[in-house]
Amino acid sequence: MTPLISFRDAGVAFGSKQVLEGLNLDIAEGEFVCVVGASGCGKTTMLRLIAGLHPPSEGVVSYAGQAIARPRPEIAIVFQDYGKALLPWRTVSGNIELALEAAGTPRAERGAIIANLIALMGLEGDGGKFPSELSGGMQQRVQIARSLAQRPQVLLMDEPFGALDAMTRQGLQDELQRLMMQQRMTVFFVTHDLEEAIYLGDRVIGLRRNPGRIGKVFDVRIGRPRDQVATPEDPEFLRIRRELYDFIRDTEREPAS
Amino acid sequence: MRQRDLLWGLASVCFAALLVFLWHLISAYRLVAPVFLPPPLAAFNALANGFEDGRLASATAETLERIFLGWLLASVLGIMVGAWIGISAFARNYVMPTLELLRPLPASAAIPVAITFFGLSDAMVLASVGFGAVWPMLLATAYGVAAVDVRLVEVSRMLRLGRFSYLRIIALPNALPDILSGMRVGLVVALIITIVGEMLTSRTGLGQWIMLAARSFRSADLFAGIVILGLIGLASALMLSQIERWLLRWRLQA
Repeated sequence: MTPLISFRDAGVAFGSKQVLEGLNLDIAEGEFVCVVGASGCGKTTMLRLIAGLHPPSEGVVSYAGQAIARPRPEIAIVFQDYGKALLPWRTVSGNIELALEAAGTPRAERGAIIANLIALMGLEGDGGKFPSELSGGMQQRVQIARSLAQRPQVLLMDEPFGALDAMTRQGLQDELQRLMMQQRMTVFFVTHDLEEAIYLGDRVIGLRRNPGRIGKVFDVRIGRPRDQVATPEDPEFLRIRRELYDFIRDTEREPAS
Repeated sequence: MRQRDLLWGLASVCFAALLVFLWHLISAYRLVAPVFLPPPLAAFNALANGFEDGRLASATAETLERIFLGWLLASVLGIMVGAWIGISAFARNYVMPTLELLRPLPASAAIPVAITFFGLSDAMVLASVGFGAVWPMLLATAYGVAAVDVRLVEVSRMLRLGRFSYLRIIALPNALPDILSGMRVGLVVALIITIVGEMLTSRTGLGQWIMLAARSFRSADLFAGIVILGLIGLASALMLSQIERWLLRWRLQA
């Protein structure tokens, strides 16, 4: 089976600075891949390569065998800064509708789709509210709903829960897990939270920095659904956690830049 | 909160009343000759008479129409050209420098030019108002359209919005607060140029009314006209801020 997304000797240079180098990675359909690494290792740049927001300086990043040159309709993104990614002048429904408008969904069909997504993301009763009236967690739900409105095959998430408090973060992690089990989407998830990466991922990619490159790949063989209390006590979780921390500590000893 | 608003409203009315009272004292004690400063009551009588025989009413209507049409012309033009400059690097590089050359020209300097093209006509007033009032709208729109947060630009790239959709859905709404404040400034300019234009062209209107009253020392009529101009300014500002409150209601909770 051909991988859905693949990196072939991909690299990125900003001017004379090599940010990412020699990336080789295959992501299968339906896989949940988490990327971790010390700050400045190029995690977000790697995500932007798949998004088509940034072209690789060398090598190829492809989706279903086709090189990604620009954003594709099958690939949606969720940014960390929900406050800037939502249209403040549009209501919750209006923000979700944005993706439908962009996709050319007929007006008559939009209402039902929006209502479904609002129910799916637990935003019932908030459809008419403006983002400024919602908490951070609820705003991030809106952004996720909007990305789902695109009916993507691949969901890119750039530290989506990084700005949220611990309780909200755990709630959203579990909802994301539930969603992925229902919809069999492929997820590429960037985070700096190692536990979050192990908890959510089928695979965790550890990046080294300067230049950013794949250092170590961890397979997470823990069944789903995973549980916020039981999973972190699972011996497999603890083993990976130890190895991952050792790995990150090791990469942090390398000079930053 | 509501009570405080009411109190402030009351305070501002009291202040206006105080000014009128001062005006009354000045004219009652003849500190300024009544030929130049009529007592407030005379001015209000002139106002009432003018509206009764319809001359002042029709002058007001004509002036309002010119202000509004000129302002509308300037707004449409300003927003269209501003949006183009805001979104297109070509327009920014090639068109903007010329506009920067035209912008500092006082609108009053444009009036003689407009007269040579249009004569002493309504079209001349309209063109002058359009030229004078277009700048605040144009610059505000160009700025607001260009100042979209990079994150929103990326969102629209990910959603693969076309250039026109981007302008309509993202950039223009993003510029709306700027556009509205530009329109507010533009309205004041439109009022000023309209009055000057009416004084020059002698078309029926408040400008001509004020001019004729001043020339024949009918100070009560003169002040009646000025009071109406003040009221037009006040009413239009209030109306605009109501519209703004509704259009920008998403910001109120922030």
